[in-house]
Amino acid sequence: MDDLKLLRDLGAELEHQPPPTLARRRHRLFTPRRPRRSGWWAAGLVAVATAVAVAVPVVLVGNRHEPERTTAAEPVDVSGTRNVLVIGSDTREGEGNAEYGPGQARSDVGARSDTIMIVHLPADRRTATAVSVPRDSIVRIPRCGSARPRVGMINSAYDTGGVTCLRATLEQLTGLRLDHTVEVDFAGFKDMVDALGGVTVTLPRPVDDKASKLKLPAGKWLLDGEKALGYVRLRHYGDGSDIARVKRQQSVVVAMVRKAKSALGEPATLEALLKEMRESVKTDLSVESMYQLATELSGAKLDVVSVPWVPHPDDANRIVWKQPEADRLFASLR
Amino acid sequence: MITQPAVRGADAELVSASWTEPEAFAELFDRYSAMLYRYVSKRLGPEPAEDLVGETFLVAFSRRRSYDLAYADARPWLFGILTKLISRHHRKEAARYRALLRAPVDSEVESPADRVAAGVTARAVRAELAGALAALPAKDRDVLLLIAWGDLTYEEVARALGIPVGTVRSRLNRGRRKVRAALGDTNPMEEE
Repeated sequence: MDDLKLLRDLGAELEHQPPPTLARRRHRLFTPRRPRRSGWWAAGLVAVATAVAVAVPVVLVGNRHEPERTTAAEPVDVSGTRNVLVIGSDTREGEGNAEYGPGQARSDVGARSDTIMIVHLPADRRTATAVSVPRDSIVRIPRCGSARPRVGMINSAYDTGGVTCLRATLEQLTGLRLDHTVEVDFAGFKDMVDALGGVTVTLPRPVDDKASKLKLPAGKWLLDGEKALGYVRLRHYGDGSDIARVKRQQSVVVAMVRKAKSALGEPATLEALLKEMRESVKTDLSVESMYQLATELSGAKLDVVSVPWVPHPDDANRIVWKQPEADRLFASLR
Repeated sequence: MITQPAVRGADAELVSASWTEPEAFAELFDRYSAMLYRYVSKRLGPEPAEDLVGETFLVAFSRRRSYDLAYADARPWLFGILTKLISRHHRKEAARYRALLRAPVDSEVESPADRVAAGVTARAVRAELAGALAALPAKDRDVLLLIAWGDLTYEEVARALGIPVGTVRSRLNRGRRKVRAALGDTNPMEEE
C-alpha cells in the first residue's frame, strides 16, 4: 500500500472541476472594465464606519487607565446584546460634502447609503461581528411613512425613507433588533483621517482615477483625508471587483486603528481625534454610551463578514441574498 | 472563450512580457487557473476556490516584476502564493477533513467487487486519511499536499515555499510517517 497513492486518490475524490465563472474572472482581472453603472461612485465606508463605531473608541478609551470622563448624570444602559446599524452615506448636502459631487449636490437627491453594515455586539463582548450588507441587494422594503411596501434595492430604502426606513427594512429581513444607528459621510471620514494625521497605504500599481480624483505612483503613501477618501472610493483598480474594494477599505481601517493606537501617547492628536469623531458621525448613541461600549469592547475581536448572496436571476448587476445561508447567519446573531 | 496561442512560450517569457504589456499575464491565467482551482477545491472545497485563484493571480500580477526569470516554469511561484492564501483558511480546512471523518462512505459509487479488487482504496480508508491530514502541522501538510495533490517535485515545492530541498524532504517524511501511522502502518518496510 502506498500512502501517497492513497492520498492522491482521496484528492481525486475531493476535487471539483472549475466552473465557467472562473474564465469570467480572467476577464475581470485582466481586461479594463467599463463603469458598471452611471452612478459616479459608491464609496464603501464599511470598515471605516465600523472603526468609528467600535474600533477607535476601543483603542482610545479601552486603553486609558484613568478615564477622566466619569459616567454622566444620566445613567446609560448599553449592556446586553446590542446591534448597531452603521451607514456610510454619500450625502453631498451640507458644507464640505458638495465638492465631492460637482453638479450633483442637489438637495432633492437625498442621501444615498453606500455602505450598510450591522455591527453585532454580543452580551459577553468577546467578539464583535460586522455584517456588511451589499447595497445592490434586491429586498422587500416594508411600508415606510407614506411609501408603500415594495421590492427594490436595499439602499433605496435609505435614499427615500432615511435611516428609519432602512432600519425597519433590515429588522424585518434579519429578525434582529437594531438598537442604534451610526451614520458617516464623506466629510466626516475625511476629517477623521486628517485628525489622525493621515493613513499609510501601499499601492501595488499606480493610480490615476478621475472619478475619485486620485493620482499617485505605485508605492507606499501617507494619504491625507482627501486622498484616503479617494482611495476607499476607487473602483477601477486592481481587479475592479467589489471584493477588492472592500479589502482596500479594510486596509485603510487597519491603518487608521494603528494610527489611533500610536496617538495614545500624544494628547493633542488624541483630543483632536475624539473631537472629530464626535462631530463626524451622526448617531443616537450618546458619547457616554460609546464610552461604555468601548470600555467593554476593549478586548474584543472584530469579525467582518458579508451577507451571503447570489447574482439576481434577472439582472447580473443586482444581487439577492443566498438562502438559507443568509437566514442562518442572522439566526446565529440572535 | 479563450484562444490557445499558436506557440507556447515559457511562463517566464510571459511574465517578462507582462512587464511592458500587462495583458500578457492573462495567458498565465489560462494555463494554470484550472489547475490551481482543482488544487484548492481539494483542500478547501469549491466555495472559496474561485476567490482564492482570483486572488492568487492578482497577487502574482502585482509581484510580476520581482519574478525570477531564471525559472521558466511559473507553477511553483503560483502555488507558493496560493499556499499562503490557503493558510488563512486553516480552520476551514481542518473542519473539512474532520467532516470526512464523520461522512458515511458512499458505497453506491463503487461496487463491493471493485473495492475487493483494489484491495485498500482511498475510499475505504478515507476517515483515517482525513484524520491524519487534519492533525498534521500546517507546514508538513503544505509540503505533503503540494506533492500529492499539486504534483510538484521536491525542488518545485522548495521554490514554492522558499525553503531548502532538505527541509522539503524532512517535512514530507514526517507527514507521510503520520499518514502511515494513521493507516495502521500496514507496510512499514515500504519506503520511497
